[in-house]
Amino acid sequence: MKITIDRTNLLRSLSHIQSVVERRNTIPILANVKLSVDPNTLTLNATDLDLEISVNIKTNSSSPGSTTVPAHTLYEIIRKLPEGSEIAIESISENQLVLRSGRYQTTLSSLPTTDFPVMDTDNYDHRFTIPADNLRQLIDRTKFAISNEETRYYLNGIYLHASENASSPMLRAVATDGHRLASKDIPLPDGAENIPGIILPRKMVNELRKLIEETDDEIQISASENKVRLEFGNAVLVSKLIDGTFPDYQRVIPTNNDQFLEIDCNSFANAVDRVSAISAEKSRAVKLNIARNKLTLEAFSPDHGSASEELDIEYGGNSMEIGFNAAYLLDITRQISSDSINIAMADSGSPTMFSEKNDNSALFVLMPMRV
Amino acid sequence: MRLRKLPESLINRIAAGEVVERPASVVKELIENAIDADASEIVISIRNAGQNFISVTDNGHGMAREELSLAIQRHATSKLISNDLGLIDTLGFRGEALPSIGAVSRLKLTSGLKDYKEAWQIEVEGGKILNTKLAALSNGTCVEVRDLFFATPARLKFLKSERTERSRIQDVINRLAMAYPRITFLLTDCGKKLIDLKVSTNSLPNCRLSRLAAIMGKDFEKNSLPIDAEREGYQMTGYAGLPTLNRRNAAMQFLFVNGRPVRDKLILGATRGAYRDVLAQNRYPILVLFIDTPQRMVDINVHPAKSEVRFRDEGIVRGLIVSGLRHALAEAGHRSSTTVSNLALGSMQPGYPQHSSHLPEKPFLSSVHDYQDNKDFAQQKTILGLNVPLQSNDVKYDETIEQSLQDYPLGVARAQLHCTYIVAQTIDGVVIIDQHAAHERLVQEKIKESMGKGGVPTQGLLIPEVVELKSNARDSLLSREKELKNFGLAIEAFGQGAILVRETPAILGELNISGLIHDLADDLSELGESIALEERIGDVCATMACHSSVRAGRPLKSEQMNSLLRQMEKTPFSGQCSHGRPTYIELKLADIEKLFGRR
Repeated sequence: MKITIDRTNLLRSLSHIQSVVERRNTIPILANVKLSVDPNTLTLNATDLDLEISVNIKTNSSSPGSTTVPAHTLYEIIRKLPEGSEIAIESISENQLVLRSGRYQTTLSSLPTTDFPVMDTDNYDHRFTIPADNLRQLIDRTKFAISNEETRYYLNGIYLHASENASSPMLRAVATDGHRLASKDIPLPDGAENIPGIILPRKMVNELRKLIEETDDEIQISASENKVRLEFGNAVLVSKLIDGTFPDYQRVIPTNNDQFLEIDCNSFANAVDRVSAISAEKSRAVKLNIARNKLTLEAFSPDHGSASEELDIEYGGNSMEIGFNAAYLLDITRQISSDSINIAMADSGSPTMFSEKNDNSALFVLMPMRV
Repeated sequence: MRLRKLPESLINRIAAGEVVERPASVVKELIENAIDADASEIVISIRNAGQNFISVTDNGHGMAREELSLAIQRHATSKLISNDLGLIDTLGFRGEALPSIGAVSRLKLTSGLKDYKEAWQIEVEGGKILNTKLAALSNGTCVEVRDLFFATPARLKFLKSERTERSRIQDVINRLAMAYPRITFLLTDCGKKLIDLKVSTNSLPNCRLSRLAAIMGKDFEKNSLPIDAEREGYQMTGYAGLPTLNRRNAAMQFLFVNGRPVRDKLILGATRGAYRDVLAQNRYPILVLFIDTPQRMVDINVHPAKSEVRFRDEGIVRGLIVSGLRHALAEAGHRSSTTVSNLALGSMQPGYPQHSSHLPEKPFLSSVHDYQDNKDFAQQKTILGLNVPLQSNDVKYDETIEQSLQDYPLGVARAQLHCTYIVAQTIDGVVIIDQHAAHERLVQEKIKESMGKGGVPTQGLLIPEVVELKSNARDSLLSREKELKNFGLAIEAFGQGAILVRETPAILGELNISGLIHDLADDLSELGESIALEERIGDVCATMACHSSVRAGRPLKSEQMNSLLRQMEKTPFSGQCSHGRPTYIELKLADIEKLFGRR
């Protein structure tokens, strides 16, 4: 195997590869990236047995063959080579690979490709394509609410399924950590009508979010009972799905919240940030004191004192006092792209709903704090 | 197979199995008899860890001839005069010890009444009386047990090594000796003295402390706090070790109820609760507690070996232990144990090799010379990074203020070493303070205090978590629903075998709820207290405290150091960090003088 390749292309591909490869492995070959050369194409493969990535790079001069080398080491080397350099890679024996660039040369120990695990053999029952921008929105609006708590593994990902919004078919992404919930709808792509509800694991979500940045085309998604495959032009991601049942989230999305508050999103977010600065705790609480046409935000710290800020609002509902985790509120306001945010409440102990003005494709539900 | 009644001898052996488990249980039963007979001196001698021979001789009131043969029959006792099991004021009452021992060994019982000249002896072998004859004994009783378990070979096989059995015997004697400081105990094994506890001439509380010191070591005497508390008829006395004097297991925790050594998980849970934020979870304090209560309020007839008791109201006893200990610990305030400073002194070496007979003159003089060379010393000072703020020009200290500062328990800060340790001078010694550990403790206490004030903020759960539990665990958790709510955990009943969690303490963030609930349930069943929740909150407080306290390596001004010392004096539990490590050590001037051979 022998190729000559441009550093920029190789580095970009390897950056995706190295984030899939785990730093510590009990199976040595899982630390390696597989390099295989077909005439004029270099394919890089990496896997952690749950997630597999493969990236194609066009090359000019090559002779076919394949081998595997340590992924993180290769990435670090390529990263440190000067920009614009040409790299020559040659497999000189069963277990050695030589890399040259300018006057730099390295010999890396390699492992044969025969043991390299391959995941992508499934037959997929469902295939559809989705515009890159739509997929980006699904991920961005929900990712922050993914749970980190490992015992409830079925919450450690984004739940993707076909749904309805105002009787038009939708593809919906939902994530929740038990304290808050985020949901985002996009028009249902053709071919996705019958997909099963699938839970995309966090690591997959992170990787695919990075790959979306590199494409403006449509992304092809194939799904089966336990695997999902995403094709982005040059790259393919295959991931196992989280094997669990996502809770019946519909029940926690309130439908009868009738205390509506509309407020300028920016000034609300800034006020929350300023007022909660009084406390250094991770779980700092902000109390919203909602009266007719006036919102007072209050925070209190036993050590440092208290803070408050008043905002003018348009509010015709009951006056109310309701507390929230400030960090959670800020996470939500960051998702709002319109000028103002709509808040629908029931009472100080019930789930509260946040959404953009004039757009109900994204919904955020937050459970209050009791302070 | 037809039903039949077991022969008498077999019945006796089965009964013996419950009482006489191993040589140590023989020793325990016999000593208890001696104590019940008002002996003031008990001599125990054993051979081969009691397997071949045990004898217990006392100077108690003894038995008459006709009583001897009755003594070795089951359910015959001189105790329990009122025939009321609720009124037990003796250690024994079941009348089972002697017949049980007699059933499995060769027993020789010799006894003489106090004012009579004659003594009688009776011999029993495997439950059968061999003979009764006149014997020589001034007064009291002597019980000799030979070839224990010869009649029950199975028991014999299950005995542990001699070393283990011997240490169990010692343990039994030590426990009883703690409760009866007015009795002399002597244990010999093949003539070798293993335990020799004399009666101290002091009055009761001190007499008890010196007995405890003789058994548990001088460290305990110096580093324990007297306990004296009372609640609704239960009286608790005893001694609790300072948190810095701790052990890896609970083997050094002793509980006595009405003079009877018992092993009760109650003490484990209550002490863990009391020492909660002054000791790491896997370290155990040393303590000896005596609970005295009217006989009606405690049931001793729970277990044949009487190592367990039941209190009429366990909650009161637990509350008594926890509050009594916490009170004593809080009063001790910043005291940290002297074992720590002894350790420090022990590791200090004189700068020059010491000759036993006299001090070497020449090196001593030359060393004085070295220190007189001020230039050298000043240079050294900068090399060592010695921070001596009191001599720096920017802070001028009033002499009188400094004088008055010396009167404080932790004295006046003199210097900071390695930007980590504060050295303070007290009226009669030197105190070295670990600035990070000390400040961490202060911050933690403050966080806890402010949390107590504001209540615990809770985060509601969008999807309430259902946790499946065994029904008894579920019921005991639900019975504490209110208490848990105060700590920010809102639970409610959910069907037969589950509970529903609606709110969790916000400070814990996203957490493994079912893990927490199961930990709480385990705590409740094992210790009778829901410690896990407070402990987790405490852990978070400790981490927060660690991050927001002065680090090692930060130079401090003298005002800062002195203010730290004054706060430590005011703050309860400041003598140790939350893991039981000392925050400071004190070296007495006398000890330092000893190091230099001045005393």
